[in-house]
Amino acid sequence: MPELSYREAVRDALATAMRADDDVFIMGEDIAEMGGSMGVTQGLLEEFGAERVRNTPISEIAIVGAGIGAAMQGMRPVVEIMYEDFLTISMEQIVNQAAKHRYMSGGQLKVPLTIRTQGGAGWSPGAQHAQQLESWFVHVPGLKVAFPSSPGDARGILWSAIYDDNPVIVFEHRLLYPIKEELPEQLEPVPLGKARVVQEGTDVTVIATGPLVHRSLAAAKEASEEGISVEIVDPRTLQPLDVETLLRSVEKTNRVVVAHEAVTRGGFGAEVAAVLQAEAFDWLDAPIERVGAKFAPLAFAPAMEQYVIPHPADVLAAIRRTVARGD
Amino acid sequence: MATEVKLPRLGQGMEAGTIVKWLKAEGERVERGDPLYEVDTEKATQEVEAEASGVLLKIAVESGEVPVGQTVAVIGEAGEAVAEPDASGGSHREESATEEPETAQPPAVETDVSGRSRRHESVTTRPQANGRRIKASPLARRMARERGIDLAGLRGTGPDGRIVAEDVERAEQAASEPQRAAATAPARAATPEPPADVESVPLTNVRRTIARRLTAASQVPVFVLTVTADMTRADALLERARELETNVRVTVTDLLVKLTGAALMRHPDVNVQFTDDALLRFPSANVGIAVAAPQGLVVPVVRDVARLTLAEVAARRAEVVSRARDNKLRPDDLDGGTFTISNLGMYGVEEFVAVLNPPQAAILAVGATEPRPIARDGEVVVRPLLTLTLTVDHRAVDGAPAAEFLRTLKSFVEEPGLAI
Amino acid sequence: MLSDERLRGFLREMLLIRRFEEKVEERFRAGELPGFLHVAIGQEAVAVGVCNAMEDGDVFASTHRAHAHTLARGTHPNALMAELYGKLEGCSHGYGGSMHLYDVERGNLGANAVVAGGIPAIVGAGLAFKLRDEPRVAVAFFGDGATNSGTFHESLNLAQLWKTRSVFVCENNEWAESTPGWQHSPVYDDMSKRALAYDMRAVKVDGQDVEEVFELAREALERARSGEGPVFLDVETSRMHGHYIGDPQVYRSKEDREEAAERDPIARLRARLGISDAEWEALGNEVREIVEASVEFAKNGTDPQPEDALKNVYA
Repeated sequence: MPELSYREAVRDALATAMRADDDVFIMGEDIAEMGGSMGVTQGLLEEFGAERVRNTPISEIAIVGAGIGAAMQGMRPVVEIMYEDFLTISMEQIVNQAAKHRYMSGGQLKVPLTIRTQGGAGWSPGAQHAQQLESWFVHVPGLKVAFPSSPGDARGILWSAIYDDNPVIVFEHRLLYPIKEELPEQLEPVPLGKARVVQEGTDVTVIATGPLVHRSLAAAKEASEEGISVEIVDPRTLQPLDVETLLRSVEKTNRVVVAHEAVTRGGFGAEVAAVLQAEAFDWLDAPIERVGAKFAPLAFAPAMEQYVIPHPADVLAAIRRTVARGD
Repeated sequence: MATEVKLPRLGQGMEAGTIVKWLKAEGERVERGDPLYEVDTEKATQEVEAEASGVLLKIAVESGEVPVGQTVAVIGEAGEAVAEPDASGGSHREESATEEPETAQPPAVETDVSGRSRRHESVTTRPQANGRRIKASPLARRMARERGIDLAGLRGTGPDGRIVAEDVERAEQAASEPQRAAATAPARAATPEPPADVESVPLTNVRRTIARRLTAASQVPVFVLTVTADMTRADALLERARELETNVRVTVTDLLVKLTGAALMRHPDVNVQFTDDALLRFPSANVGIAVAAPQGLVVPVVRDVARLTLAEVAARRAEVVSRARDNKLRPDDLDGGTFTISNLGMYGVEEFVAVLNPPQAAILAVGATEPRPIARDGEVVVRPLLTLTLTVDHRAVDGAPAAEFLRTLKSFVEEPGLAI
Repeated sequence: MLSDERLRGFLREMLLIRRFEEKVEERFRAGELPGFLHVAIGQEAVAVGVCNAMEDGDVFASTHRAHAHTLARGTHPNALMAELYGKLEGCSHGYGGSMHLYDVERGNLGANAVVAGGIPAIVGAGLAFKLRDEPRVAVAFFGDGATNSGTFHESLNLAQLWKTRSVFVCENNEWAESTPGWQHSPVYDDMSKRALAYDMRAVKVDGQDVEEVFELAREALERARSGEGPVFLDVETSRMHGHYIGDPQVYRSKEDREEAAERDPIARLRARLGISDAEWEALGNEVREIVEASVEFAKNGTDPQPEDALKNVYA
């Protein structure tokens, strides 16, 4: 089986969809000749031409808005917002328009728009290029939100997002682009709303997204040396959330750690923790732990940035707290 | 100006009542004093009268339980607009004044010394240890609940001494086999489903109250004394009294009430009640009569018996028993008893032991008067004999004083003139 | 030049819109209509002219002041009134209300409560028509106030850049709610400059002359339809009433209001066509009946079930 990087996997999904379907086209800043600031769309201009691989001006409002308009006419545009920090500029179109057309029209319209974006810290990009804002969009009825952590998931989820009739925001992560995975030639769709058990265990469930899936794997390895068996579950889709899979895991292990790179306060982990304490209250043998960034913007100086973002050690510490004994 | 009809507090400690039936309909004219609706309280079902005249503009609560003070209806002039009655229970404060023993009416609801009425303890699932809340994980709590293990006995090995699942499991395993079987037995045996032909009658307030109060009474340490009295002179007196008093038929019970009252005045040590902090001694003998009413056992009271004539006792007894039978007792019919008489003689019962009527310290069980042989002056004669059985709260009254009282009572029964 | 018959048809449509809006004001004041409402009294000619110039398959997005566009494009007054009353029979089935009127069958992609909010989608629709090579046009209605929004600018920029099949209709009534043109835009006296900034073809239109509106809109639509590029219509019109129903217009002089009344497009057309009093009365009655019937229809409509609120969130 060929090995694909996360980046290549995303590209594969786009290309496969565009080959199969004339209605799929992509637009965003610098995605044509340059192949995107993260190199995701390299080669697509050559294969599909400038009409379907469209460089845009720096106009996040119009990029998303035009995507909405084309989607309402039955096309399946995939627009790229270069850094998820810039989603803030197109918030009005995402939240007031895309998320609500179907509802406000009483079901007359669909907006099958896909927004791809990426973010992530750890390389001193500074506070305005490093945020993780996925939880904001989970909060808006009408939107779907996904955050794949592996090449296979990225490919399969993007495919499902393109063919979902609702506006879907797919969050990629800069640090994940180079990760490789052996994947079959044939694209395997990953349904939205389905979690993945990354690793089985019996003592504690770590629910992690994006890069924290990988950091949790590292933490779990160390924990196993201490005799703690860690189960890791990646929700993959944040909205809709696969609560069933999470509950089954909690019922098995009775302890939960939720981990994401986004700021802990008001982050997606808060929603997961609330849902689990309500639905699995009698299965919890310890308080639910949350791992995320500390409550500060991301500084430029590496030492400060590293201090704020969550590391495997933070996940390990949380795991240990859930099984702790003694005074 | 419309008047709101609010559920009155019909007795001390009454927090709520269940409206059973409306006696007037919306739109009907009512006069002040007319019976307006029936309410079921812990003690009895009773009528509530209208306190204002006018038209019953609106019935806000058709039936069901209502807190004291809540608006249940509105009376006003025809055509008046009725604002939605205030659905929140009107404020009513619990008694906070300490009751003076001299003027105290024995409360109908158990009270502690400060006079505040105590609420029923709701079944709590929170075990208390040293008065502090037990730290245990939700999982551990559930496991303990399901397995009938008391968390209070466990040592927690989780952070901060929290009891975790493992601790509960360990505790369960530590118990030996037979013990474990007992420990895992449910704390309250579930009532098995009755067979289909068994009728399941819902408990009324009255029955619940009886059950609750007498269960409490059964935990009091009691002793029982029995005497048999010669009713010859008493019977003659009764016959005479019936000739003289034609308005009401004087009964054996009336006579016993009167004589008991007199005996209690001689033996105030028996006219008492035990409380955790003090012994309450009552100045007057208020004798309750156990009556089998359709709704269940009720004990209407004849107050201050010592000051009543036998005829007055009879009249009062007739009045309250009649009300009891019609389920129309008033709260002050039932309040204030210091002693109770229960007479099952009319059923042919020779003797029996009555259950204390808490918080009273004593109760007299009266059997049937029957001709029986008895030794007199070395000879066997047949006399009308009555067996009296006294049940006494040993916390409040010792054997000797109780025996002295009973001896006095017997002497009064055998020679009523002594009671004057 | 349009035939008298055609113009008479326009007059009837404008009068229907006028009477409908007046009825809406009346019903709102009577407390029957939830939410808040913006009527297009005085701007009927723009709606009737542009919407009649559109072809089948053309789509449009409107503003918070959308009743006129909705009616002019063919939505039945019953469906519109029912929507204002929040009934299931409403064109948005009770989900939208006055500011979210949709009638997708008739190409109505939605009124929008966010100023300029609907414009980018018109760029996108025009893009889709171009990519699929369909002879269809997407039309955006908006007011002079919207031309200050970043959304507006990004939209025009992209539309002209990509030559999307879009027409931008600026209903310049010289008021952005309570703010007069000179207070909100440095180019208020020549709104076409907004389009020229993007090198977009701009056309000035007398919005109170329905014939002129129709003909210039036709031209603009044809140009966009051919793929030659989008067109910006700078339509001068007058808002005869306040921004919203109940607006006391404390910010507006009496003269301004009187001037607006003098530019009443319905009166103008009536005079031009020489409509007799009798005919006018007959027309008025006809229209009044339709409007009153729509209120009856709406009042007898079906209220949505509360749980319906959870439907249509996702496709």
